[in-house]
Amino acid sequence: MMLVLRSLVVVAAVVVGVLGEGTEGEERARLLAAKRVHNLYLVEGRDIVVQYSVHNVGQAAAVNVQLTDSGFSAEDFEIGGGQLQVKFDRIAPNANVSHTVVVRPKKYGYFNFTAAEVSYQPSEDSAEIQIGYTSEPGEGGIIAFRDYDRKFSPHVFDWLIFALLMIPAQLVPFMMWYNIKSKYTAVQRPKKGKTE
Amino acid sequence: MLGGLKKLLLLLFLVLPVIISITDGGHMKAWAHEDEVEGEEDELSDDDEVNVDDGTGGEVETADGGEEEEEEDEEEAAAKGSPDADTVILFTKPVGTGTELPAGKLVEFLVGFTNNGDKDFILDAIDASFRYPMDFNFYIQNFTAIPYNRAVKPRQEATVMYSFYPAEAFAARPLGLTVNLAYHDADGNSFLEAVFNQTVSIVELDEGMDGETFFLYVFLLAFSVLLLVAGHHFLSSFGRKKGSKKAVVEVGTSKRDDVDYDWLPKEVLNEIKKTPRQSPRTRKAKRVASSK
Repeated sequence: MMLVLRSLVVVAAVVVGVLGEGTEGEERARLLAAKRVHNLYLVEGRDIVVQYSVHNVGQAAAVNVQLTDSGFSAEDFEIGGGQLQVKFDRIAPNANVSHTVVVRPKKYGYFNFTAAEVSYQPSEDSAEIQIGYTSEPGEGGIIAFRDYDRKFSPHVFDWLIFALLMIPAQLVPFMMWYNIKSKYTAVQRPKKGKTE
Repeated sequence: MLGGLKKLLLLLFLVLPVIISITDGGHMKAWAHEDEVEGEEDELSDDDEVNVDDGTGGEVETADGGEEEEEEDEEEAAAKGSPDADTVILFTKPVGTGTELPAGKLVEFLVGFTNNGDKDFILDAIDASFRYPMDFNFYIQNFTAIPYNRAVKPRQEATVMYSFYPAEAFAARPLGLTVNLAYHDADGNSFLEAVFNQTVSIVELDEGMDGETFFLYVFLLAFSVLLLVAGHHFLSSFGRKKGSKKAVVEVGTSKRDDVDYDWLPKEVLNEIKKTPRQSPRTRKAKRVASSK
């Protein structure tokens, strides 16, 4: 009797295992990661805002998510804010996280913005490490500061010189007008003597 | 009792393989077979010609089961994608399922690619297009294919981004959006997978105050002010009492005080003040006397 019951339990366990295997296997995290450069102009020595967004489109939470961007080398870029290696403990299903880094290019010329690496565990009890890569912004031209400044700076010094040069052009006509006006008002008609 | 349990156990062992064979990951399987239509094979003879519309113009192809059919089979196989690859799409701008897209505004989505095989995959390009919803072979708007040339190693994932602007002319219209991902494996086998192939609605976003609306309100306001002024004028003229008006007598310039001296220079005014006012006759008499 006990033998039969044991065998029934084993059979039930096998059936449950077979039926549950597929659904359990499906419940994995699936991360989509994007890397965006927000600046319209990339200028030497000026801040470039780079945003990373990680979306979990899977059925399970992604655990120990690590985002690493090795595309900004120390010889080419200076880090203005944020970190190029960041860790998120957990990203829930249908949730997303974003991270922003501010970098300053030291040189001008064409630069290839490559993908950042994302590594994570697809589920809570999973031991495997899934490696993924973000989207690539691609090649962008970093403008020399002189060229950018020539086009977009307020040119305060230039306007000051222009103002100084314009002062004589405004002052000379004003002085002439003032002299004529003062002469005109000073001249009064000679008074006639009373005729009796 | 024991015999009954043995029979039950035997039944369970017989039923178990059946359950396993008809279930796939907890979901019941169903194999669908296309019903054969009577006389379907007889409809086309070997010499008949069929006009196949593949979106590039109507080319006449013979239905004799030659090279054309083989090419079509190859295309179909390629369009399915690799069994070792897994793709997913996510619309990030606007956020949602991608069923409603704004006309004339940026649409952005991410395509995730997972390599489940043992060989490298190279993501070649993504192209998107709007198709006629009733016939997906008919192109309405074609978007630029963006080349990526990104290698995805085995057991790794990669994400690519694509963005486009739906034309404003398609507002309030349903269109079929097809997004194709072209990739190939290390052996050179090319694949084309439709990561998105659905009918979407192009919606016109209500931007609130645009130029047209602003001037409409301005003209409405001006018209209402005009009506108010006209109404006020009509009521005031209607309600005014018609009393007897005094006859206005023209007095001319008889009063000496009416003369305006403001326009004269100061020195002239001083002269006028000093000299006594005389009538022209007395002035004339004085002039005559002095001449004598």
